[in-house]
Amino acid sequence: MNENKLYQMLVFFIIWLVVGLLLGLAFKEQTRIRTAELPSARLPDLARAYVQEKRSNAALEEEIRQLRQKINELENAFASGTKQAQVLAQSLQEAKMIAGLLDVEGPGIELILQDSKRRPQDGSPELLPELYTIHDYDLLRVVNELRQAGAEAISINGQRVVATTAIRCTGPVVFVNDVKMASPFTILAIGDPKTLKGALEMPGGALADLRSVDPKMVQLRVLDKVRISAYSGSTKFRYAQPAPPPQEVKP
Amino acid sequence: MIAVGLVGLLLGVVIAFVALDIPLPEEWAAYLSLAALAGLDTAFGGWRASLEGRFHSDVFVSGFIVNALLAALLAYLGDRIGVDLFLAAVVTLGGRMFLNLSLIRRYYLNQFALRRQRG
Repeated sequence: MNENKLYQMLVFFIIWLVVGLLLGLAFKEQTRIRTAELPSARLPDLARAYVQEKRSNAALEEEIRQLRQKINELENAFASGTKQAQVLAQSLQEAKMIAGLLDVEGPGIELILQDSKRRPQDGSPELLPELYTIHDYDLLRVVNELRQAGAEAISINGQRVVATTAIRCTGPVVFVNDVKMASPFTILAIGDPKTLKGALEMPGGALADLRSVDPKMVQLRVLDKVRISAYSGSTKFRYAQPAPPPQEVKP
Repeated sequence: MIAVGLVGLLLGVVIAFVALDIPLPEEWAAYLSLAALAGLDTAFGGWRASLEGRFHSDVFVSGFIVNALLAALLAYLGDRIGVDLFLAAVVTLGGRMFLNLSLIRRYYLNQFALRRQRG
């Protein structure tokens, strides 16, 4: 090999330069990825947007409440008119009762479900940490049991359970009517208090599992008078429309 | 020779940070890092070779390119077939870098000792 010393040096320099370029690029890229994964810079923006949305949400809910009140007033004015109108207004009132669009009160129960403060002891593998918290399925079982026992109105933490209500866990919180909530859950139900209580306390029933883990997770009270507020969410139907009566097929 | 290399390295890093702004896809980042590792390994190898007086530009340049490509290719292949093949490159290159560096260290220690004996 008859290589010029200067040439060697040049090659050496260029390779180290390229290595430096690669290292620098890699370093920059990794830094960029790391900062992209932690959106700490965007956190204040998100917080601001969240607060804004929450505020406008509250304003819209207030508007819904006011409009509903206005409808009620108009209906009452209408009802005080003719006999026909009175009948109409009455059936409207019934429909609204069923739909959960009216505040209602009556005898019933109050059930408070909350996460246990106890933790599974070491060395008891059958006791999973999931058992110590209230989940969507606990609420669903309770609601189902209450309905079976003839509950006429049910609410969870103030959210009226209506025909379109969904109860679902999303991470550590539960969404009821698209409203976020967490333990403790106060479930109010109107109906025959004895029947409701009996249905819930059935052996092997909705509350038995929770009580077997920690009795403090469940508090059940019978009340003479329970007040349950109306459903405050949207009642718009986007897809379903009233269908014409099915045509009879003549033989 | 080494001073030249270090100046090159420094210059490269500075250029990468200041002048170059290539928006690379995120999936490439891992391959880029591996290529940089392979390049570093070759550069150390070149340093050692130059100390031992066995430095050849063609070996050096081809080794640099092939190693960098192979490392990136291994990582890519590993990603495709679900085996962390890039570990092979990391272990091999990392091990060799330590080896080269230890030889370089010994060389300088020897030189130092020789100079002291003479002085």
